[in-house]
Amino acid sequence: MKRRGEWGSAFIFLLPLLFTLAVAFVYAFVRTVYFSFTDYNLFHITKFVGLDNYTQLFADYRFVLALTHSLVYAIVVTAFQTFFALLLAVVLNQKIRGLTFFRASYYVPSVASSVAITLIFIWLMNRRGTINWLLTEIGRYWPLIITGLAVIVLVQSIQVFWERRHGLPARAFDPALLGISLLAGVVVTAILWRFGVVPSYPMSQVTIPWLTTRKTFLGIPLPLLSIMMLNIWTTSPTFMILFLAGLQDVPQELYEAAEMDGASPWQKLLHVTVPALRPVLFLVITMGLIGTLQMFDQVAITAGTAPLESTITLAYYVYWNVFGSGGLPKVGMASAAALVLAALTLVIVFIQRRVGFSEKGWYS
Amino acid sequence: MRKVLLALLIVGLVAGIGLAQDKVTIRLAGYSGDTPLMQDVLARFVADKIPGVEVVWEPITEDFLAFVLRTLSAGTAPDIFYVDVGWAKTVEKTGLVEPLDDYMANSAVLNKGDLIPALKDAFTFDGKLYAVPKDFNSLVIFYNKDMFDEMGVAYPSDDDTWATLLGKIAEVNNPGKWYGACINADAARFLPVAFEAGMPFLKDDGTAPFDLASAKQAADWFTSFNRLGISATSADIGAGWPGAAFISEKAATCIEGGWLIPPIRNENPTLNFGTVFLPSPWEGGPRSNYLFTCGYAMPTSPASGRPDLAFKVIEILTSPEVQNYILESGHAIPSRAALLNSAYFQQKDDFAQATKKVFEATDLPGTVPFAFGEIGQGAYTGAVNEALTLIMQGEATVEEAMNEAAAKLNQ
Repeated sequence: MKRRGEWGSAFIFLLPLLFTLAVAFVYAFVRTVYFSFTDYNLFHITKFVGLDNYTQLFADYRFVLALTHSLVYAIVVTAFQTFFALLLAVVLNQKIRGLTFFRASYYVPSVASSVAITLIFIWLMNRRGTINWLLTEIGRYWPLIITGLAVIVLVQSIQVFWERRHGLPARAFDPALLGISLLAGVVVTAILWRFGVVPSYPMSQVTIPWLTTRKTFLGIPLPLLSIMMLNIWTTSPTFMILFLAGLQDVPQELYEAAEMDGASPWQKLLHVTVPALRPVLFLVITMGLIGTLQMFDQVAITAGTAPLESTITLAYYVYWNVFGSGGLPKVGMASAAALVLAALTLVIVFIQRRVGFSEKGWYS
Repeated sequence: MRKVLLALLIVGLVAGIGLAQDKVTIRLAGYSGDTPLMQDVLARFVADKIPGVEVVWEPITEDFLAFVLRTLSAGTAPDIFYVDVGWAKTVEKTGLVEPLDDYMANSAVLNKGDLIPALKDAFTFDGKLYAVPKDFNSLVIFYNKDMFDEMGVAYPSDDDTWATLLGKIAEVNNPGKWYGACINADAARFLPVAFEAGMPFLKDDGTAPFDLASAKQAADWFTSFNRLGISATSADIGAGWPGAAFISEKAATCIEGGWLIPPIRNENPTLNFGTVFLPSPWEGGPRSNYLFTCGYAMPTSPASGRPDLAFKVIEILTSPEVQNYILESGHAIPSRAALLNSAYFQQKDDFAQATKKVFEATDLPGTVPFAFGEIGQGAYTGAVNEALTLIMQGEATVEEAMNEAAAKLNQ
C-alpha cells in the first residue's frame, strides 16, 4: 500500500516533465517521421512519396556537403574544445593570485549572447578587420618578432645556467629572470632594427575575405574554419566549469602518492588527473558532439555574408529547405534531413562511448 | 483576506475581458524598420476612425517570408500583413491568402482602377488580386555632387552608357579619402543590368540564363568597379549597406532606391547629391530596372474573424491622404495613379527631385517587377550573389562563376 503511494507521488512529480517530453519531443518526432515520407510544404500534403525524400537527399550535393561539414566540424571542434577546456580547468585549479578574476573573464565568452559574439566576430573577420590587420603587422615585423624571441630565450638560458652554476635553485621560467630577459629582448631588437641589421618588410594590407571566400585549408572552407575557431572559443569555458567541478573530486592523496614516486607535473596530469576525470570527460565529449553536430545559430548569422556552400551544416540545411529558398517550404526533405541528423548524432555518441571515454569512473 | 483578493482578481479579469471584447483588435504586421512611420500614420489617420476597431502594429524582426509562412500555416497570421512582390507568388501558392477582388468591387473608396496598373499586375495571379499595393520604388544612381566637383569630373547623366559611367567613377575615385562607388555582390542591383544587356529571366526551356553571353557581359561590367579598386563593398568600407557608405561620404556613388532618401535627410541633411537613371549598355541602347513594390494582404481566415474591418483599415492606409503624407515624408511613392501628379514632384529640393527620379525610372520601358515566380527569390538571387562575390574577389573568372551559377539553379 505504502509503495503504491510512493509510486503515485513520484508519478505526480514526473508528470510535468513527461508532459513536455510528450508534446515537445514524442509528438514532434512522430510528426517529423510522418512528414519525411510525404511532400508536405507546411500547407498541403498531396501524396506519400515513400523513401523519395531520402534518396533525393543523398542525390543533393548540398546535403552531401552539409553532412561532411557537420562531421568534420563535430570532430575538430569537440577535440579542441575538450582539450582547451581541460587545460584551462587545470590551470585555473591552481592556487594563483586573482583566480576569481581569471575564472570569470575566461567564462565571459560563454555567457555572452551567441548572436552578439557572432556579429563582433564577423566584424573582426572583415576584409579590413582586426584579424587581417594583425596578419599584416606580423607580415611586416616578423623578423623583429623572431629576433626578439630568440634574444629572450638566449638571455634567459644564460641567466638560469648562471644561477644554477652558483647553486641557486632557478626555475626555467623564473619571473625575476624573465623580466630581465624581456627587457633585454626589446632593447636588443630595437637597436638592431635602428641600425638596419634586422629589416621590417614593407607589406601591403592583407585582405583575406575570411567569411566570403571559397578557398579551403586542409579541405575545410575558410568560412567554416572561422566559425570553428569562434565556436571553440565560446564553448571551451562552459566545459571548463564542468572540469573544474570534476577536479574538486580528485582525491589529493593520489597526487601526493604520485609525487612520492617522483612524477612530473605532466605525468600527474596524464596519469592521475585525466583518468580521474573520465566520467566528466564522457559528459564533456558527448555534450560537445551533440552540440557541434546540431550547431545552427552561428552558421545562420554568418550565412548572410558567406557563400552557402562554404558554411552549410546539417542543421542549417534543414532550415534552408524550409525557409531559405524563398519558394514553398520543402518540409518533407527537411524532415528527412533532420532524422538523418538525429540518427547520425546517436551513432556518433554510441561509437564515442564504445571506443572513447565511457561514463564509468576509473577508480570506482 | 486572500479569498477576497482572489475573488476581486477574478472579477477584474472577467470585466477586463468583457471590456476588451467591445473592441475588435486588428493586427497589422510589417517590417520593423517601418515602425516609426507606421505608428505615426496609425495614430494620425486610423485611430478612432473606425468605431470599435483598435489597430495594433506588429513589427517583425525575423525573416518576413518565414514569419508569413509560419503564421499562415499555424493559423495565427495577423489580420493584415505586408507582402513583397519578390515572394508574393510563394504566399499566394499557400492558398491561405484572401483574394481581394470582391472587397474592392464593393468598396466606395478603393477600386482596382485607382491603382497603377503595373503594381496591380504584380500582385495578380490567375486573374485575382491578392494584395493592395501600398507603394513602389526602383533603382537610380545616387551621386555626391561635392565629390565630383572636387575631382573636376562631370556629373553622371541620364545618357551615360556602361563605359562612360565606369570612366566617371574611376575619375571621381579618391584613394584614401573615398571610393568612386560602393557596390555589393547583390543580385537585386545586378539583374536589371543583365536584363538590359539582353538576359531573359529564364531561357525558353525554363533553365537558368546566367551562362548566356549577355549575362556574362553584364557580370563583367558590374564587377569591374570592385576589381579595378575604384569601388568597394559596404563591408570593406565598414558600413552596414552601400547607402550608409554614401551617407557617411565614403563613396561617391551608389545604386539604391527611394528608401535612401529618409536616412539621408535624417543623418546627413546637408549632403549635396543628385540622382540619374541606371546607364544603358551602349548609346541609345535598351534599359531595364526593377519595380519594387509591397502590398497589404489578408489571410483567408483571420484570427479576429472580421476581414471586413481589416479591409476598412487597408482602405484608410491606401487612401490619398495617407499616401500623400508618406510621399512627402520621402518614404515611398504612392500606388494610386491619381497621386502621380502630386505637387510634391514639382518641388526643387534634392529630396523631391530624387523621389521624382525614382518614380520616372519605374516608368521606363524594360522595368520589370522584382519577382521570381515559383523558383523562389532565395534560390535565384543566392546563385547570382555567390557568383558575383567570387568574381569580385578574383577567385573565379566571369566565365566560370556564371556557368556555375547556372548549374546551381538548374539543380
